[in-house]
Amino acid sequence: MTTTVLITDDEAPARSRLRRLLDELTGYKVIGEAANGNEALQICLTESPDIILLDIRMPDTDGIETARHLATFHDSPAVIFTTAFDSYAIKAFDTHAIGYLLKPVRREKLERALGFATQLARPQIEALNNGQQPGTRKNICVRRRTNLHLIPIKDVMYFQADQKYITVRHVNGEDLIDEPLKDLAQEFTNHFIRIHRNALVALARVERMEKTPDGQYEVWLRDCAKSLPVSRRHVTAVKACVKKRA
Amino acid sequence: MHMVKETRKPDSRTDDKHVGNKSGDNSGDDVRQPTYLPNFCSSPIVFGVVLIAALTAIALTLARQNEWGMFFTDLAKTSLLMVWTSLAISTSLCLLRTRLNRLSKARASALAFAAVISIIIMVSEIIYWLGSIYSTPQMAVPNSWFPQNHWYFLSSNVVIGTIIAGLVLRYFYVSHQWQRNVESEARTRIHALQARIRPHFLFNSMNTIAELTRTNPMAAEAAVVNLSDLFRASLADSKKLVPLTQELEVTRVYQEMEQQRLGDRLIVKWQLDDLPQQAHIPSLTLQPLLENAIYHGVEPLPDKGIIEIEGRRKGNMIYLSVRNPLPINKFKSETGNQIALENIRERLELAFGSSASLSRAIDQTHYQVSIAFPVKE
Repeated sequence: MTTTVLITDDEAPARSRLRRLLDELTGYKVIGEAANGNEALQICLTESPDIILLDIRMPDTDGIETARHLATFHDSPAVIFTTAFDSYAIKAFDTHAIGYLLKPVRREKLERALGFATQLARPQIEALNNGQQPGTRKNICVRRRTNLHLIPIKDVMYFQADQKYITVRHVNGEDLIDEPLKDLAQEFTNHFIRIHRNALVALARVERMEKTPDGQYEVWLRDCAKSLPVSRRHVTAVKACVKKRA
Repeated sequence: MHMVKETRKPDSRTDDKHVGNKSGDNSGDDVRQPTYLPNFCSSPIVFGVVLIAALTAIALTLARQNEWGMFFTDLAKTSLLMVWTSLAISTSLCLLRTRLNRLSKARASALAFAAVISIIIMVSEIIYWLGSIYSTPQMAVPNSWFPQNHWYFLSSNVVIGTIIAGLVLRYFYVSHQWQRNVESEARTRIHALQARIRPHFLFNSMNTIAELTRTNPMAAEAAVVNLSDLFRASLADSKKLVPLTQELEVTRVYQEMEQQRLGDRLIVKWQLDDLPQQAHIPSLTLQPLLENAIYHGVEPLPDKGIIEIEGRRKGNMIYLSVRNPLPINKFKSETGNQIALENIRERLELAFGSSASLSRAIDQTHYQVSIAFPVKE
């Protein structure tokens, strides 16, 4: 059985070198090349490669953010980072990454990393991908039928959990994502505030909090026509936040 | 379009504070002591001031008296006046210290000068006033101990004070400049190697070459030769002036390397208007500007980016500028850029003094660095 690999790098010579090295190895098939993170995510969605070789420094969605989005996929590929020189990133991934390779990539090291990634079962890969990525994403990756869209975090008004999915309300509409609210709360702790067991709202958009006639509290957000209920245990925190913003 | 323009001449160390802090480079002393004036609160400086006062007193007395009999009485009077005046000046400059440090060089000098003169006037007035009280016939104090001619006493003290204060301030300024040159030379040496060729560029180039050796051996050969030229330039003495044409050549070689790697994504437009052949420039002055422009301005763009390099001559001055688009999603590292700019600024200063300058202009869409330097044969 051949293992499918996706190559992601913004530099054409770097991509063609990896492709050539992979062609010389047996058991691997390159199913595509992507020049940036967005392309890579799109290809991963439709082709579900087993392994992705991911350059860290790329325009727009860089390798680290791409990996974070991939971690939310159900059948996420094993991520092997490639980098020319990025001491920060190397430090961050030292302990967690399935592999990272320094460019120019040495054939033996590529083979070893690929071999290691192939041996891992999907659940192991997902466990590795999850929780390994440092920092916060700049976008939220949503799926609309077969297409992926990146919604900038600054456009998001709130996240609201509803049964199985989470609704992302943003300036251009609503989308569903499949990530635990707990993880989102942790990742965006500096920009979002929890107002209810099932909801996080953008700090920058909190406008005012009101008490309804039946004694409930609700919060109004900038550019958002709908108010959201605030649960009792979060009232104090939300009040403090409104005060700070006023 | 909203333009933020900041221009800094190499010699205005005072407003370089934030740059030093941001880049994290080790210019802590410069940040705390932006003025050239020494610390008048420290005892070695106070001692120096008293010494200058005593020596001046001797010189003045020697010039005034032509027999030994009067010499020592006169010296005692003169040095009493001079030493107390200079101590009062030291004290006032010590108290003004925090304020002086906040001012630019010219203003700090003016303030220090004003303090010196006003103290001289004050002391002279007090002495004249004491004299008018005590040197009456009833008192035992001889007439000659105190000045008789009020205006002559005051004005001669002010003139002497002005001359000496001017000389001393000039001395402090020159020795401060000298010390700074020594320091900056040392710093430049250290920065030179680390700031010149980015490891990022080196390894990506190596990666490109690794691929080209198989797919396009001719291009690989050219790339190796180009890389060698760049490294040769970077290993040369960083203070050495090279012909401008050579620097332009190195920059073009660098562009070729990056073109190989980035392909259509990189567009560099050159516009050089009759630059004089005999002009010289510190080696690797323009190349790092292009490197910065590519690293910060083109690589973060998903599409292509245009860099404009301009060279003009105006009279005896040459102006070079590199302009790149400002990406919205910038890569994080800004520090490398700052260090590189500081490095270029320092080397320009070493080569041309205050006649050279480096300035940055940032607007919403573009970032531009310009350097100006005189034609030096």
